[in-house]
Amino acid sequence: MATQTLDKTAGLGSLPRRVPRERRIPEHYWGYVLLAPAVVLVLGLILYPVAYSFYLSLHSKHAYMPIETYVGFQNFEWIWEDEDFWRSIKLGCIYAFGSLALQIVVGVTAALLLHQSFIGRGFVRALALFPYMMPTIVVVILMRWIFNDSYGVAKYMIESSGLMARAPVFFDPDHVMLTMIIASTWTFFPFVVIGVLARLQTIDTELYAAAKVDGAGVVRRFWHVTLPQIRNVLFVIVLLRFMFMFTKFDIIWLFAGAGGLGYSVRTLPIYTFVKSFGELQVGFGAALSVIMFAMLSAFAFAYFKTFRRDEHA
Amino acid sequence: MNPALRHVVERVTIYGGAALLAFACGFPLFWMALTSVKPDREIITATPSIWTAAPHLDAYRRLFDQTKFETYFVNSIWVAGGSTLMTILVAVLAAYGITRFRFKGRESIATVMLFTYMFAPIMIVIPFYIMMRRLGLTNSHLGLMLSYASFSLPFSMWLLRSFFQSIPLELEEAAMIDGASRPQAVARVIVPMALPGVIAVSIFTFIVAWNDYLFARVLIGKDELKTLPLGIQDLYESSITDWGVIMAAGVMITIPALVFFVSVQRYLIAGWGAGGVKG
Repeated sequence: MATQTLDKTAGLGSLPRRVPRERRIPEHYWGYVLLAPAVVLVLGLILYPVAYSFYLSLHSKHAYMPIETYVGFQNFEWIWEDEDFWRSIKLGCIYAFGSLALQIVVGVTAALLLHQSFIGRGFVRALALFPYMMPTIVVVILMRWIFNDSYGVAKYMIESSGLMARAPVFFDPDHVMLTMIIASTWTFFPFVVIGVLARLQTIDTELYAAAKVDGAGVVRRFWHVTLPQIRNVLFVIVLLRFMFMFTKFDIIWLFAGAGGLGYSVRTLPIYTFVKSFGELQVGFGAALSVIMFAMLSAFAFAYFKTFRRDEHA
Repeated sequence: MNPALRHVVERVTIYGGAALLAFACGFPLFWMALTSVKPDREIITATPSIWTAAPHLDAYRRLFDQTKFETYFVNSIWVAGGSTLMTILVAVLAAYGITRFRFKGRESIATVMLFTYMFAPIMIVIPFYIMMRRLGLTNSHLGLMLSYASFSLPFSMWLLRSFFQSIPLELEEAAMIDGASRPQAVARVIVPMALPGVIAVSIFTFIVAWNDYLFARVLIGKDELKTLPLGIQDLYESSITDWGVIMAAGVMITIPALVFFVSVQRYLIAGWGAGGVKG
């Protein structure tokens, strides 16, 4: 469909031109001229670095010194035998899948709720989207304060409500991952809400009416009417959110830092950063980011293979 | 269950759920604002109260007097504003070129641009840093602006492209027949018509730049050049954590985001549909 529109619009090039200055340059070059700045930026600052990353992954390089030595696949061999690497994959999967599952459950529930009509809906909708707009650094300081182990309001609420006699220690090696998953869900679930809510609004209401006539209750209407309708949008959301969560750096780093607590949440992106800028082994770090890229590509590929097939049926 | 009872149950569930959702999303914001105006002894207590008898702005005064918050704030505005302008300019040119001219490789360039969306910042930051060091662009705001602009470009170009495609050629032709040059026609006809797209692009670029921590951490070392995320991190990692001041800083950073958010909410949805939000 895009090509149709394009063919229609491409005709302007044949207009008689009035500005003499333009006449010196053949028409079709203008396309290149106008695109040049964008191409230079993307090529130079995204694609070249990615290629450079592949190159660096085959080298041993210090972050500041200009010396670099070709080492072949040495970095990858080291990574394969590196326990910290496997640990970072494990922690990364716990974080990504844990927060993804929570985001989907909370996000879809909230979207279903915000799709109903009730007084004050506009306000609650705006409020529910706002956590996503909060700068990461604010989310982090806010959550660190609310879950503070001495003076935090979460501890106070849990203990005074009688939910638990003693609230768990939120920031210790055993719990920091869970605390972070909750904080991440809080700020990222609106992404799911926006997508699902937009889709819900386009579902034909007659489908629900028909299901009601057939005697389907709320739960069955959800499974047999709503879910099939939002399947496609959920497919995209799950893919995107997984990729975003698996490569998430700033919220984790700011949450736990490089110190003792940080070791409990050293996911692959954190490990990559620590190796590159903490231990200054840029080649090793680049190899880690190449692996991250390969894993994501493989995941996206497998995901499409597994879930997209029956889409055509 | 009889219908009347079912209706009541349904309403109670909906309002209960809405209240819970509003509380979960709103309470942290409220708590941040409240903490920032509480006296110290009400902050450092195991039994925090839901209100304060003696609100005051001491924390804000300390924030401005004793920290470099103002510098960080100005830096953030400058970097985010600069990257936004850069992105708009480059993306408008590219989107115009790609929708109004026919040339070899047009489609493949557009596709490659979209493909770059796959790369997360953490995968790029290492080589990026080495490059910027070579170019002498570490410890400079220009380096930061360039990185944010290039990150926002692919999305921006795709969004603007779809807007430009929907603007009929005849309008532009008419303007040019009336004697306008092509740049004039673009500035006076095309850009105003694509304004919602331009606004959406601005918002997303601004947010990318305003929120970024990673590139700023890696590229900026000098204190006077730091943007807000770096500055605030220093604040809360300092030896004595002054929660009043930190929450005041949080409020100060959230207010622009809040104002922005309320005024542009509808464009936000348009941008989401085009894949503008990343992260």
